[in-house]
Amino acid sequence: MRMRCIVEGGRIKGETLCTSTPIAFLRGVDPVKGVVSDPKHELYDVSFAGKILVFPNSVGSSVGAYVIYRLKKNRKAPKAIINQSADIITCSGCAISGIPLYDLPANQISELKSGQIVQLSGSGAPELTILDE
Amino acid sequence: MYLSNAEERALSGEKGTALQLAYRVLVAIGRISDAEKLIPIKWAHVSGVSHLTIGDYGLDFLKKISRSKGAKFRVFTTVNPCGMDVRNWDELKIPTDYAEKQLQINDCYERLGMANSFTCVPFQSYKVPSPGSHIAWAESSAAVYANSILGLMTNRESAVSALASALTGKTVYSDLHITKNRRPQKNIRVSLGNRKRIFGGSLDYGILGYFAGNNVPGVIGFQGLRSAVEIEEAKALSAAIGIIGSSGMFVLRSREKAETLDFSENEYQETFSQLSDAEKGDLIVFGCPQMTIEELYELSRSLQGKKLRKKCVVFCSSKIYDLATSRGYVRPIEASGAIFVRDACADFTPIISSMGASAVETDSCKGAHYMKRVHNVKIALRTTKEIIGANAG
Repeated sequence: MRMRCIVEGGRIKGETLCTSTPIAFLRGVDPVKGVVSDPKHELYDVSFAGKILVFPNSVGSSVGAYVIYRLKKNRKAPKAIINQSADIITCSGCAISGIPLYDLPANQISELKSGQIVQLSGSGAPELTILDE
Repeated sequence: MYLSNAEERALSGEKGTALQLAYRVLVAIGRISDAEKLIPIKWAHVSGVSHLTIGDYGLDFLKKISRSKGAKFRVFTTVNPCGMDVRNWDELKIPTDYAEKQLQINDCYERLGMANSFTCVPFQSYKVPSPGSHIAWAESSAAVYANSILGLMTNRESAVSALASALTGKTVYSDLHITKNRRPQKNIRVSLGNRKRIFGGSLDYGILGYFAGNNVPGVIGFQGLRSAVEIEEAKALSAAIGIIGSSGMFVLRSREKAETLDFSENEYQETFSQLSDAEKGDLIVFGCPQMTIEELYELSRSLQGKKLRKKCVVFCSSKIYDLATSRGYVRPIEASGAIFVRDACADFTPIISSMGASAVETDSCKGAHYMKRVHNVKIALRTTKEIIGANAG
């Protein structure tokens, strides 16, 4: 799948963690544990540290960008993020934290499921390849 | 997105960490908004100042930026109110650990070269550039006012994007920076002809703005408003539009042929009851957004020689406070029993909670929306005149 690059990263291989529900970083994510802290969220209390986190977009306060930065400092950040349409919160948070960020159209992002091993090629024209279901 | 050679070099880290991170932010935002280039700005206004909003997360990042080599604001930069009055936080019973962190945040912005006032109405205190100038303002109420009343061009920036603009002197050329995107996408027809009281004043305009921001995501066109709208009314309208939704601009007298929503007595009452859930309060709050010099003049006249029977807090910038002092507006207000809190934000300060109020009386729709959520109080929305009439003598 051809992705749009928002924040560059090198070649990355990792396991996906997917949700179709938007994430609120401020007050919806625990930056110490590296989990979604909203009990109503599909990914509640599931660690996303070191994963390739896939979600449609973020919601809530733009201060959420600083929560992403804190996740990175605490070594609890995702290895990379894939959005359906990246917004200013995720994109500024990833930019200041050095977390690679890409987006994919709706019909393609829905092909991704949690637990897949995927490879992201580096910058330029980044591609996502599913290596293992 | 096109970058000049100098911008490419800064992005590669040649000019230091702060500038590199700032360009990374602008490039990433440029990509999501399909912008063709970056453009120079004349003014950056940065939000994310109170420790109640950015917390330790933001403080960490600001420390890193402000201490990195060569980091400074490259364009005139104002910053939002902080969480307390730095001249008398002690008297106001601000917890010491909070105050220490707030002072550290302020220190970061001062190192980078902010203008010397913490304010959400920056257009009140500094010379406004000519219409058509590009700026990058966070603080939604100020950004909406700048686009709609001052004819300046800005998107609704976030704390991080405005900081990136302050550090680089540039912003992403997209959305409201482009003239063709500044036409109303939906109209709101104000038809309140049959009311007992004529539509006007900060409270009424706030209610209208809250309704408009909630219903129109893009540029809002108003129809049916009287020809002259006062500064205070425009300020309240802009602030309320900025609370929810994503609209960054309104046009006061729209001639655009577009889908039209009616704002009549029903809509007014419905919106009012979303915000106001008490008859009266035990604390009065004025100054969300912070008071203008004209508002302080009016307040001083209406409180002249009177005593307030309730606690009352008035929020304004230290710059406007000093001006008001020299003009004699401050003394009658303080003599009535009201307390000034300078350079702070009514919504994001520990003061309201520490005063132990269970309900707040205010004329501000923005204040109503946030104080209810942040300080867990009930809200009695009333006009300034009603508040003073009921509580001072």
